[in-house]
Amino acid sequence: MSLIRLENIIKKYHEGEENELEVLHGVGLNIEEGEFVSIVGESGSGKSTLMNIIGLLDRPNSGSYFLNGQDVSETTDNERSRIRNQQIGFVFQTYNLIPRTTAVSNVEVPMMYAGVPKRERTERAQWLLERVGMKERMQHRPEELSGGQKQRVAIARAMANSPAILLADEPTGALDSQTGRSIMDLFHELNEKEHRTIVLITHSLPLSEETQRILTLMDGRIIGDRKGKYASGKH
Amino acid sequence: MLLENTSLALASLQSNKLRTMLTMLGIIIGIAAVIAIVTIGNSMTRSMQEMMASFGVNNIDLYAFSEGEAEEEQTQPFSFKQEWLEDMLEEFPGEIKTVSVDSSIGSATLEHNGKTVNTDVIGVSAGYLVAKDVELIAGKSISSMAYSIGTWDCIVSDLFVELALGVSPEQAVGKSVELNLSGSGLQELHISGVYHFDFDSWVMNYGDRTAKREEVSTEVYIPYRTAQEFMDAPDELSYFTVVATEGTDTTDLAERLMKFFNDKIPDETHYTCESYSMQSMIDENNKSMGQMTLAISLIAGIALLVGGIGVMNIMMVSITERTREIGTRKALGAPNSAIRIQFITEAIILCLIGGVIGIVLGIIFGMIGSKLMGYNGEIAVWSIFFAMGFSMLIGVFFGYYPANKAAKMDPILALSYE
Repeated sequence: MSLIRLENIIKKYHEGEENELEVLHGVGLNIEEGEFVSIVGESGSGKSTLMNIIGLLDRPNSGSYFLNGQDVSETTDNERSRIRNQQIGFVFQTYNLIPRTTAVSNVEVPMMYAGVPKRERTERAQWLLERVGMKERMQHRPEELSGGQKQRVAIARAMANSPAILLADEPTGALDSQTGRSIMDLFHELNEKEHRTIVLITHSLPLSEETQRILTLMDGRIIGDRKGKYASGKH
Repeated sequence: MLLENTSLALASLQSNKLRTMLTMLGIIIGIAAVIAIVTIGNSMTRSMQEMMASFGVNNIDLYAFSEGEAEEEQTQPFSFKQEWLEDMLEEFPGEIKTVSVDSSIGSATLEHNGKTVNTDVIGVSAGYLVAKDVELIAGKSISSMAYSIGTWDCIVSDLFVELALGVSPEQAVGKSVELNLSGSGLQELHISGVYHFDFDSWVMNYGDRTAKREEVSTEVYIPYRTAQEFMDAPDELSYFTVVATEGTDTTDLAERLMKFFNDKIPDETHYTCESYSMQSMIDENNKSMGQMTLAISLIAGIALLVGGIGVMNIMMVSITERTREIGTRKALGAPNSAIRIQFITEAIILCLIGGVIGIVLGIIFGMIGSKLMGYNGEIAVWSIFFAMGFSMLIGVFFGYYPANKAAKMDPILALSYE
């Protein structure tokens, strides 16, 4: 059973209007548990839209989406909130940490919405921050952290409720190459040691070659599905 | 969750202190105005109630007025007859505690150490001390024997004792004083008891703030029978006071007494009896004070409304600024309700802080205002709870729309908001 299965996903904007625009023309894909997959495409290829659909932030116009065996195509807003909270860990290009809030509190946010008691989630948040190498800066606010540090906090936050997948959208896009490298190393480590399923959305071919599997998206269709050249940790 | 929302709200409000302060200003002014007005109103009401109560809440005054021409009034002097009063006591058993009759026979002076001590000499019935709630701090009341035969036993104030004799109230009891009655010459009086004269409440009741304590003319009470000898028409009784027993509805009793005497008074005299109960005056006073407070509070309410709109405005700005944060929270799994509650909490806390500051300022201004107007400041406790509740309500009411807007944001648009 695939962890993620998309079948014939069609996404249109402004449906039924004059300026109707079909962005995804029947995308289908399978992602297995423990895989490190990248979805590569030029800007305008529809990869952001695909990410939003996988991340349950957006609904397709037609097609089915099975997450962990559950059909999530027809779910209410509240159910989608809960699924995002429990199953999906977002890592954004621009980190999107909550301003004026300490690193540890940021990591606690998904657990707060999951109803985890305060003490338990603080402990787990501290453990997660340690795990991503942020032990020394737990009480720092985003404003006091560098880009790489912010992204580490964001990754810790994404793992807060042990989601089924980490969904990383250009996670190194705003970082210098050295820092970006260390973030990629962290993803590899999480994939190899903890068998976390990671979906990396990127326009960078060199980065995607590091992953086990590369899905190439072009003009709203998947046109390629192959192994990464430098996969299995040899980078 | 509530704790988190509260600390989130405080952090957010703290991050922009000036803006928070300016927004709160409307709430602060509105609440402070309401609290100040209510405090002043309450102080006035309390002072008036105390003043009226000092005249006796259970008292009913009965007067006779002429309905006819002025000359008629002159030629036909009117008096309540003694037997009518006796009939009254039979007619309303258990409702009347006592009857008070008094008549001033004018002022009297006494020289002591080169200074003149002023008094007013008043002839009273035994019921008078009950009606006026005169409490003796030394000695004893005039005996019923003295009342019936008309002796020169008297009750004086502690101030009089201090000024005229220079002794303590206890030492004054049993002593004699020689008063110079205006128009009647010297008269020796025998001090039977001493009551306390409250200068401060006298100043408040009579509003004469320039009065000097040693110049105040206090009252000297002598038996009514004794005083009758100084009256032009000793048997004439044009008014008297009925003291109702505790628990009697004095407003109702006043009505019935008025009717009772109007039935007694022969038609040809053209006189009519009127009654006034202190209770009905207090009720009347409370009612008009309440209306006035309400009217001014409504105006203050407009200030609060403007303050509330300010809160709504700033909340709209706040959610626009924090669009990305809202998008992020939604991506992390916040249901719409959580976002809504977060921003409503922020609005409520903004209003509550404003409310607390407003209450403190309102009490300060209210107390100062009451003092300036010559009343004892009295905080209306209910107004504090009311203000807290009302500021919370403003928070909910004016915070709901912005919070709901935040809750309904599309997470994708919110996340890509620049």
